[in-house]
Amino acid sequence: MVTAKFIQQLGAIVGAEDVISHPEDLLVYEYDGSVDRSMPGAVVFPTCTEEVSRVLALAHREGVPVVGRGSGTGLSGGAIAPEGGIQIAFTKMNHILEVDTENRTATIEPGVVNLDLDNYVRKFGMRYAPDPSSQKACSLGGNIAENAGGPHCLAYGTTTNHVLGMEVVLEDGTVMNLGGPTRETPGYDLRGVFVGSEGTFGVATKIMVRLLPLPEMVKTFLGIFPDIDTACTAVSAIIGHGIVPAALEMIDALSIKAVQSVTDAGYPADAGAVLLVELEGLKEEVEDVTKEVESALWDTGARDVRIAEDPADREKLWVGRKTAFGAFGTIAPNYYLVDGVVPRTRLAQVMRKVSEVSEKYRITIANVFHAGDGNLHPCMLFDEREPGVSERAAQAAQELMEYCVGVGGTLSGEHGIGLEKKEYMPLVFNEADLDQMRKVRDAFAPSNRMNPGKIFPDGVSYHAGSHRAAPGMYI
Amino acid sequence: MTSTLPEKLASLLGNHGVVPANRLAEYSIDGLVPASVVQPTSREAIAEVLRWAAAEKLAVSPRGGGTQMSLGNTPSKLDLVMDLSKYHRLLDYQPADLTATVEAGITLEAFQRELAQGGNLASLEAPMADRATIGGILAANSSGPLRHSYGPARDWLIGISIVGPDGGETKAGGKVVKNVTGYDLNKLYTGSLGTLGVIVEATFKLAPFPTDSGALVAVFPSMQTAMDEARNLLAQIYSPQGVHIVNALTAEKLDLPFNVPTDGACVMAFCSGRSRAVQRRLEESATLLLERNASQVERLDEPSGAALLRRLTDLGWSAATTPQLSLKINVSPSLVPKAIAWHQNSGIDPPGILADAGFGSVRLFWWGEEALPISGVIEAIVRLRAIAQESGGSVVVEHCPLPAKAQVDVWGDTSVEVELMRRIKHAFDPLGTLNPGRFMGRL
Repeated sequence: MVTAKFIQQLGAIVGAEDVISHPEDLLVYEYDGSVDRSMPGAVVFPTCTEEVSRVLALAHREGVPVVGRGSGTGLSGGAIAPEGGIQIAFTKMNHILEVDTENRTATIEPGVVNLDLDNYVRKFGMRYAPDPSSQKACSLGGNIAENAGGPHCLAYGTTTNHVLGMEVVLEDGTVMNLGGPTRETPGYDLRGVFVGSEGTFGVATKIMVRLLPLPEMVKTFLGIFPDIDTACTAVSAIIGHGIVPAALEMIDALSIKAVQSVTDAGYPADAGAVLLVELEGLKEEVEDVTKEVESALWDTGARDVRIAEDPADREKLWVGRKTAFGAFGTIAPNYYLVDGVVPRTRLAQVMRKVSEVSEKYRITIANVFHAGDGNLHPCMLFDEREPGVSERAAQAAQELMEYCVGVGGTLSGEHGIGLEKKEYMPLVFNEADLDQMRKVRDAFAPSNRMNPGKIFPDGVSYHAGSHRAAPGMYI
Repeated sequence: MTSTLPEKLASLLGNHGVVPANRLAEYSIDGLVPASVVQPTSREAIAEVLRWAAAEKLAVSPRGGGTQMSLGNTPSKLDLVMDLSKYHRLLDYQPADLTATVEAGITLEAFQRELAQGGNLASLEAPMADRATIGGILAANSSGPLRHSYGPARDWLIGISIVGPDGGETKAGGKVVKNVTGYDLNKLYTGSLGTLGVIVEATFKLAPFPTDSGALVAVFPSMQTAMDEARNLLAQIYSPQGVHIVNALTAEKLDLPFNVPTDGACVMAFCSGRSRAVQRRLEESATLLLERNASQVERLDEPSGAALLRRLTDLGWSAATTPQLSLKINVSPSLVPKAIAWHQNSGIDPPGILADAGFGSVRLFWWGEEALPISGVIEAIVRLRAIAQESGGSVVVEHCPLPAKAQVDVWGDTSVEVELMRRIKHAFDPLGTLNPGRFMGRL
């Protein structure tokens, strides 16, 4: 339990000014980018590994559950504190400690913002590839917890493919190194299984990531389609031709209108859907693939294909993609988002289902998603003041998740299970499968005090009862 | 036991599923001959044998093609070898989705052959691809000369099923290319050497089949110059997908098209992908190497380039190149030029050297006819390990005389993580049925 004495002890470790516990100060820590909420007993802001270790050791002795928190942009409730728990916020551990140009690595603290790292290393001709749409705000520590994705993960893989090593702190305060500066380390791949464990194994306090050299050539273009069905066919044609672009993103008609109402991204207002395609690599590769992608777009029924002529043009196309979710605010005040993944050849079929579900539950659904990965993001838009609409949104989400699993897909491509989807886990995994996962968690956290109540179905909801617009509107 | 082991197994699997007694020695591990070897052809049979073995407290060693059996510590106990090589179907292949699912016993070569028909490739490499199985490749975390660019197997595995020592089958991941539904146990099983469960099924994301490939071989007067030029080559925008350096002793084993002077070294570079890009990589790399004082640069078009790539992948594992002792040093790429000299003054013969300059590994081979002194071997391992660990690296013993193996952990180290690994092993295999003693910390 979080008592006054416990808060005092936390203050003795991190300094009284780096602990907050008054309800009004805690308000913003009650939620993340998802629909769930719960008030933590306190939030601490450590500045170094030793403080994190001492905070965890103290909480362990006192039986207080702990949740790590980066920037609170997560979309599955991963950073929501359980009743009687505390949050460790990594806001003050936000330093880029080292960039090693020769080995193309960076060592950073977990609170470093994804885009800050990327911008910084670009000065050295390198980049950090995973680029969640929340990259302006989300932290690398949070990216590790969720195994975050992003448009460019199509070609380069999600966070797990880019993490070399981590210093982590376990629930009893033990500090441990997983992985290291080498691509391969003997023993079980503890680094690999830690990434994506949603904070239930421990917290990362130092992270070493791989960087990639900047490509020689980048080409971005827009395929403009009469409807989403045709655009889905184009996605299958591109992947089916053995072309894996750097990014392949779908934006539907509703989203195009929303985007164009807040910024001119150059998307034609009357298009049924657009595909944003980016190719990267050696000049020769990009030139050859461009021709093939262009003909795949035309052959599958594109109405037009526009190629960004310069970096400013390219930037404009991407601004449209990245501001889409913010722009949904112009349609409705609340949203609820599904993160299902399906085999790429099923995209057209699944998008037809999305539109059926939209009609059936009388709810507006906009679609902006990572088509190349088969990672959908149907986004239900509504006003929670309308009676019954929140419940309909939840039912629609459930029907879509069930459908994704039914066609050979799964619940989440990049947002994580957290609180939001834990009760749906039995759609994908049976009790024995889940038990194997629990065994690993129990090895890392025998008392299960790191972010308890997440991932595994337990019938316990932190649901506040109403959906609301969250501050971090990114996907 | 009421019946003998082979009798009981024959009743579970039928006679054709049990290897005859006169062939058991072929399945020995570090000189230990198993009491029985089974070759199940179904998941049910795998589960049943495991359930029964656990009840009888037998130790089971899963096996694929048996191509890397020298990996791992000597088993603390060996009763039954489960040879998965007869469990080898391609279960699902979706060329348009770039995914495929296989039974664990399919060989890498057979898998690639099937995939090529749909225009795809699994980005997996392993020694002896005609015998190495997918299950074995995952368990041993095998990789090859292109690992620097395409990543090891862990980056391509998207779904897995295992049968645990209690006979229960469980899965993780799925059939989609991007997935954060539940913990990523794909990673945990990859490289676990069959100590957590028997891998029965695996799903991979695939890559398009490269339309072109080729190789370059360049000779330099010394290891150090070769090293520097390899690193320089890797820093170029057109850098090849794999760049390796060998000394003269290793070059001899690779059957290169020319001689490398005794103190000299050779840089090998491999390119694959789309034709125009591959040609540019090869041309510009060749020009650079010549400008930088390579005494000779040869370009190997196909099939010679692919043949060299295969010889390099098999090096140290094929019958003709199996050494008495081989060590793999994992280090940051920038330390590779230093790591190639760390073995010096170890008191045992000069070894063959193979360095992967991009990925960050150095393999040392002692091929000599004369038996190495055991004390010298142990001292060399301990010394190298101390140096490597200081730089955040590690040393894995790939081949080693058995008496030395008894005295050093081939995986190295007993750091704090081993305790955590022990907890995982205990939770997954509480009776120690699967490959006991062979993993890190003799788990």
